[in-house]
Amino acid sequence: MMEMIIVSWIVTLLAIFVLFFVPSKIKGYTAAVAVLANSLLISYIAFPALGGHIQEFPVFAGTFLGDISIRIDGLSAWFILIINFTSVTGVFYGIGYLKAYTNSSSKLNLHWSLFIIFHLSMVWVCMLQNGFAFLLAWEMMSLTSMLLVIFDHHNAQTLKAGLNYLVQMHISVVFLTIGFIWVYSSTGSFGFDAIRTFFLSNNNIWLFLVFFAGFGLKAGFIPLHSWLPHAHPAAPSHISGVMSGVIVKLGIYGIFRMITFLHADFILLGEIILTLSVLTGIYGILNATVHRDFKRMLAYCTIEKIGIIGIGIGIGLIGIGNASPAMYFLGFGGALLQVLNHSLFKSLLFYSAGSVYQQCHTRDMEQLGGLIKTMPKTAAIFLIGAVAIGGLPPFNGFVSEFAIYSGLIEGFHANSLSQIILFVLSLAGLCLIGGLSVLTFTKTFGTIFLGQPRKVLQHQPHEVSLLMLLPQYVIIALMLSVAFVPQFYLKIILEALYEINSTANGSVLINAYASTISAISLYSILLIGIAAALWFIRSLVMKSRIQRVEATWGCGYVAPNSRIQYTGKSFSKPLGKILNFLLIEKKQFEELKPGEIFPAKRSYASHYHDFFEHNFIDSITQRLIFSANYFSFIQNGRIQSYVLYGIVFILAMFILTVFNIVS
Amino acid sequence: MLSVILITIAAIFFTGIIIRTKSLASGRKGPGVLQPVSDVVRLFRKGVVYSETTSFIFQIAPTVYMASVIMAMLVVPFGQSRGVLSFNGDFIFFAYVLALGKFFSIIAAMDTGSSFEGMGASREALYSMFAEPAFFILMGSLALLSGHTSFQGIFAALHIGSQISYALAALATFVLLMIAMIESSRMPIDDPKTHLELTMIHEVMILDNSGFDLGLIFTAGYLKFAIYGALIVNLFIGIIPYQYAIPAFFGIQFLMAVTIGLIESFMARFRMSHNPQFIVALTSVSLLIFFGVLLILQKFM
Repeated sequence: MMEMIIVSWIVTLLAIFVLFFVPSKIKGYTAAVAVLANSLLISYIAFPALGGHIQEFPVFAGTFLGDISIRIDGLSAWFILIINFTSVTGVFYGIGYLKAYTNSSSKLNLHWSLFIIFHLSMVWVCMLQNGFAFLLAWEMMSLTSMLLVIFDHHNAQTLKAGLNYLVQMHISVVFLTIGFIWVYSSTGSFGFDAIRTFFLSNNNIWLFLVFFAGFGLKAGFIPLHSWLPHAHPAAPSHISGVMSGVIVKLGIYGIFRMITFLHADFILLGEIILTLSVLTGIYGILNATVHRDFKRMLAYCTIEKIGIIGIGIGIGLIGIGNASPAMYFLGFGGALLQVLNHSLFKSLLFYSAGSVYQQCHTRDMEQLGGLIKTMPKTAAIFLIGAVAIGGLPPFNGFVSEFAIYSGLIEGFHANSLSQIILFVLSLAGLCLIGGLSVLTFTKTFGTIFLGQPRKVLQHQPHEVSLLMLLPQYVIIALMLSVAFVPQFYLKIILEALYEINSTANGSVLINAYASTISAISLYSILLIGIAAALWFIRSLVMKSRIQRVEATWGCGYVAPNSRIQYTGKSFSKPLGKILNFLLIEKKQFEELKPGEIFPAKRSYASHYHDFFEHNFIDSITQRLIFSANYFSFIQNGRIQSYVLYGIVFILAMFILTVFNIVS
Repeated sequence: MLSVILITIAAIFFTGIIIRTKSLASGRKGPGVLQPVSDVVRLFRKGVVYSETTSFIFQIAPTVYMASVIMAMLVVPFGQSRGVLSFNGDFIFFAYVLALGKFFSIIAAMDTGSSFEGMGASREALYSMFAEPAFFILMGSLALLSGHTSFQGIFAALHIGSQISYALAALATFVLLMIAMIESSRMPIDDPKTHLELTMIHEVMILDNSGFDLGLIFTAGYLKFAIYGALIVNLFIGIIPYQYAIPAFFGIQFLMAVTIGLIESFMARFRMSHNPQFIVALTSVSLLIFFGVLLILQKFM
């Protein structure tokens, strides 16, 4: 095992070294080879863990940390394989995506070497079982991803988004550090086993909530989500795909990891997470519905999906508390399957959205339209992603959502009134999320790909290269395998969950549910069969019928143009109007004055603001800046005063030591 | 299997009865009850006109829509006889499969690039989204009451005995009827007979469909109505033997069609901006059912 780890380090260092000397054109391929090699090596270690063979070995990590333990159980292996798959598709897609940048070689050097380290750091996050080393890997992941986000660093907006991300990730690190130090101060160890000891003898709630805040920031639970809608649109699309597909999931991994150590208060924590997750889901998808920047829309949609995963986690926790194995397996199992599914279709959607951006150079869907004619493959890929992410059969999204729904319904057997009410309301919330995502994705797909082009673009868009399409086809193939052979994945997940909590035993019930879920995949095939049969009949009938092509019905108007099409904004406007207390719309325009007979040309703009960012985060940061201004005299830019501060500090330390106040 | 046959038979007459009721109520003789079916048959024989803006989405959408409705029909049971497909949580599958059909009909409407059709698509997506929680809370409450999670299990275990469960059944009928009206775009949400594009919902989405495709969309619409009718019937028949249950099925479907006809004759369509309020109010009726169920189960202890 150790050899594999060492080989992967050598590959990484070698690849980074080589990257600087190869011509720009093959820098991407070099990185791809390194990422692929690392993925294969680590997957080779992780794979047996899926079958229940926990991999455990110490690694010498320098004199300061000493021997730290690496442990790969089913849970880690599940996340590691997801990370590897998404990173590999991301790197290959990225080669095609960054083709236009071959002449800026230094930018590419930095980008690709960071990508290799970034991939490795994510994998290490899942393997380390020592708080201190974990934080190092976590920090490495945050820093490299931040630098990857600001690839386009000449753009002020991108830089701002990157800084926002950097700051918020460090708030997350602060929470995690507090958590680990808390455990250290009470048990004297940074190892993960110490957390278990801590939970055994102390109150579970507060430490868990500290960790939840830290990991939740990464995952994007409200109100800690506000970095996502800024960072995802700013990053290049292969990075947003990997970020949304995987980084966000590492927050979920952290929460799962902490749950494995949890000892008491399952029901209360489960109820907290369930409630927060339903709200996160509804809030995320509501915002996704109204935004016109399609990558920002996808970022909000990620928040929604995190909400759905959170619902699963909440159900599972309550399941442990209620001693209901069915809820435990359905909740956590649904959540883990949703993690896989989301990493697949979200990266797919980000890649196909990136293809649109690469061809059209805009993220504003209101300027696009009719792309299905010029980019039919990308359109079909996006459509598959959209149907799958809406959780609609016959794709994989339905399988995991069905498991979560079943978990909720299983919760009706609970005895406590508050739990039943919570479950029924969550059921309503989850189906509302489903309805809203149909609204969101019909809007997005319809506006970008259907109808007529709304604007004449500078370059005529055409289909992207095979190198960019191929990773997307691979993702679709894997999505179909989840949709039609869910048994395979369910078995792995159940194994991993059984490993975490071997007391949960309800094999009869679980097998019943597992066979229902496998049956659903058959019904999905039946659905496709019915549609195919109908299509066959239709094409037989249509052969002998007259087919004509005419203009769209214009209600008597004979000079229609593309501007009269329904826009995405107007599509979602009724919803925005009804929920205007949550979806804050700001309009900028100059009103016509009473005496103005010949009005001058004027402009109108309207934007939706994030409720939490607008009402809480912005006002807090503004007050902070306001009070911080009073101390700006300290940082005055004069070297003399900085030297003075140093002298004052040294003097103070000297005096304090002399008087034995510090030792 | 029985349910599929019964639903198909009911679907043949359903819309005809609505139209007949409406014409009788307005003092006309009206067309025969089989007129809608012969309209569809005529459409199947006709040629088609496609809009030049459209792509393959527009052509496959009616097929997918029809397939989704057939799939949903297979899940619906009849009394103690199961649907063709019956499993725990099949009502979730039912709702999601119908949503798939809706997804495709919405994007097909947007494919034409017409502002009217986009408008209809937007409304359809919004209204059906608002109607969904009502259906799920209703089914969730019934699942809680009966302890089963499949359509067949729920309906077979519903025992209408005490007074409060009669009240629940009445409320459930109301909710399902209203959801049927929303899903099939009838009054008071939408007026299928209006001739102004700006005020239509479903009809405006299919302005550009013709021939075989339009026939498929109509057929799917008729089936959908009968499917919701069958769900309502299932609330009442429980484990009654077939010789009573089958006449009851047709009786209730007939009654439902007449009721819809009468509603459409004597009521005006709601103002478009009031529709969401009305639909959200349905969710509160569902919540009422939920609290009724909690009362029956004596959970308030």
